[in-house]
Amino acid sequence: MGFSGNWLHAIITTRIASLVWFTIWQAALSAGLSLLFGIPGAYVLYHRSFPGQKFIRAFITVPFMLPTIVVAIGFTAFRQLPFLSQLLLGHSGIPIIICANVFMNYSLAVRIIGGVWTTLDTGLEDAAALDGAGRFRTFTSVTLPQLANSIASAGALIFLYCAANFGLVLVLGGASVKTIETEIYLVTTQYLDLSKAAGLVLIQTVLTITAFIVAQGLSKGKMGFFNTTSLEHRPRVDRRDLPAVLITLVFITGLICLPLITVIMRAFHVDNALSFQNFTNLGGFGARDVLSISVGQAGLNTLRNAIITTALSMAVGILASYLLSRPKPNGNVSFFQRAMDIVFQMPVGISSVVLGFGYLVCFSGGLFPLRSSWLVTPIAQSLLSIPLVIRMIHPALTAIDNQLRETAQTESASPSQIWWLIEVPIIRDVLLMATGYAAIIAIGEFGAANFLAYGDQGTLPTVLYQLISRPGAQNYGMAMAASSLLIGVALSIMYAVSSQGPPHHRKPKHP
Amino acid sequence: MKFSRKILIGLSLVVVVGLVLVVVNITGNKKPKDVVLVTHDSFVMSKELIADFDKTTGYKLKLLKAGDAGSLTNRLILTKATPIGDAVFGIDNTFASLATSNNIIDGSLSATDFGDVCFNYDKVWFAKHKFAAPSSVSELTLPKFKGLTVVENPNTSSTGLSFLAATVDMFGTSQWESYWRSLKKNAIKVDNGWEAAYYTDFSGSSGKGAYPIVLSYASSPADEVRADGQSQTASIMDGCFRQTEYAGVLKNAKNSAGARAVVKYLLSAKFQASFPEAMYMYPIVTGTPIPTAWSSFTQVAPHTYGDKLDFNTNRKSWLAKWSAIFE
Repeated sequence: MGFSGNWLHAIITTRIASLVWFTIWQAALSAGLSLLFGIPGAYVLYHRSFPGQKFIRAFITVPFMLPTIVVAIGFTAFRQLPFLSQLLLGHSGIPIIICANVFMNYSLAVRIIGGVWTTLDTGLEDAAALDGAGRFRTFTSVTLPQLANSIASAGALIFLYCAANFGLVLVLGGASVKTIETEIYLVTTQYLDLSKAAGLVLIQTVLTITAFIVAQGLSKGKMGFFNTTSLEHRPRVDRRDLPAVLITLVFITGLICLPLITVIMRAFHVDNALSFQNFTNLGGFGARDVLSISVGQAGLNTLRNAIITTALSMAVGILASYLLSRPKPNGNVSFFQRAMDIVFQMPVGISSVVLGFGYLVCFSGGLFPLRSSWLVTPIAQSLLSIPLVIRMIHPALTAIDNQLRETAQTESASPSQIWWLIEVPIIRDVLLMATGYAAIIAIGEFGAANFLAYGDQGTLPTVLYQLISRPGAQNYGMAMAASSLLIGVALSIMYAVSSQGPPHHRKPKHP
Repeated sequence: MKFSRKILIGLSLVVVVGLVLVVVNITGNKKPKDVVLVTHDSFVMSKELIADFDKTTGYKLKLLKAGDAGSLTNRLILTKATPIGDAVFGIDNTFASLATSNNIIDGSLSATDFGDVCFNYDKVWFAKHKFAAPSSVSELTLPKFKGLTVVENPNTSSTGLSFLAATVDMFGTSQWESYWRSLKKNAIKVDNGWEAAYYTDFSGSSGKGAYPIVLSYASSPADEVRADGQSQTASIMDGCFRQTEYAGVLKNAKNSAGARAVVKYLLSAKFQASFPEAMYMYPIVTGTPIPTAWSSFTQVAPHTYGDKLDFNTNRKSWLAKWSAIFE
């Protein structure tokens, strides 16, 4: 773009200003709503216990990995509700975009906040309750300050996901709905106007950095408090939890169940009758051989990519979180750590379109002939999951009372002993959860896979898109069956990793 | 002690990334017999045809998808010094002049197939509501068809761009904008992609949407044949755009000979016969057999509009004017 100042001219127009403003407010509103529903959700699903909890924890995570066209089809369910359809489908799809954002990101709020909440001491709350404080009072005065860190962290992350979610806006919004991300896509792929694209990327980068600085500023409050005894039993849900339970119940059945069940029901319907035909069709190559690889082959490719993505992003994510969470001797966070934190979050806020073009230009020849290898897909996918892995592990590590480490140190434990014997057992659940997220991101990811994978390296989502970009009931039915498979796989993975191990496993062992 | 740990972790990070790159360098080197065909996202080639190509030519065909026709062309322009493949399929007549003026093609583009972008309507819906479906695109602005039509955004969909070009040709440079303004006043819905328009908004597809008229292809009704042997949809044979797709050898291709073999194969009788079933397009080579479902439920538009317009010079201004109406 040079230093001519052309890009500055190109970006400062009222048109651009209005789409930047829209990007910000829709993302902020979506993040706010996700937190509003996510905090009671985290309370019910992580701070209280009830039968079936583990399943629901896994279930709410499924939307996060769904390809956007499947979200769009699921959301057609709301069309049948006369009152809602008026509200949601008017205004060129903006309300439905915000609902879909909340639908996809709710589990992030619940899990990030809930992950820290499980480690909180109930003793303080019990004391406040004894003093006559109601649940709500106890929450605002005792619990909330301890959760501030995770709430800010979840909020910033959801904000960035919503600001950068390009597919969702494209598929649910009409021609008049524009975000920075869709505009970047438009000017690069359709107009090849790279100087304008560069200007937009700059705005997006500023937005990303600002979001993190704001989040860091908000989370300056008291760090999470850790007490080992609190892990031994989480109280069961009782009558006084009714408001939180009701909010969560209505939210999950209304906003999460309905679209998912719509997709699954369509998978089991052929010609208005119940049938397994769509699933048996998955063995083949679609109506008239639309697919060049079978769904089974695509499934194996997906599995292989997911394993590599998960390993890579957990390795890098844990190392980075470890580094970020080491306090300086005076207890402050160093400039180096702050800078690194932001650098690792950049891929979330940076346009997938830009990432795609970057890969294309960098890896197509010369030094790194990466382009022609299937490994390029899992590597690109890890870039998308590493920030999330860090955002989950880092707050959990900082929530551990530093006194535990210091005591161990005075007992002459080595840093690796402290890590393996104290920190890992405490954050074990968070580590499992991050592993699950990294895996389902790889499984559901469409953009990078479609852009980077060769024909015989297609994944489940790319095959799904091939099916749904053709007219015909059989292809549509197969696409719905493939979506149901994705839902099933994501649910099983998240169920497997959401551990509720017996307390003695979770008690940190002293070296 | 603290500092050295930092270095240690930093180093191990570098090692992980380095290892990955080494592995990739070893496995990623392309064999000389490989030939890469870059296509748009809708390209379909059956396993049998790929195997047949490999067997008859001795090359190993690899397919690479690069977005819709517009993204495909622009990506190839961006990477023309070291192209991402050897041959290209799927540049259509709306982008062909952009490709040739940017010198990304070695030799010339060869037409491989064509299809007509036309409106489809839901016969069942119109029978149920007891009034006649429109027979021309001008009727879509009439009050009785208010709120019944869904089209694709020409900025993000080649189907949408095709119909925009058809309206420019039909109504002329002075009138096409007022046609679109009347469409907007008649509550036309604009989606960004064909998938959303056809499967979430159109009532005649499996998506069972709320709009009985959709911008799609003249061939689509052949795929909506119900148990009674009748298609639920039909095409409006007016205001159609003839989309022609091209293939060519890329400049600076690593395997030009292989690329030429690919283009030749795309024009062979075997591959041409696969176009209707796999890609829902008509083969360009005359005399290629057409499936029976096609002859009963689809026809080639008797007259098409817009395909002779100069897209290279006008695309941006058409899109800007269209966007001014719909934003």
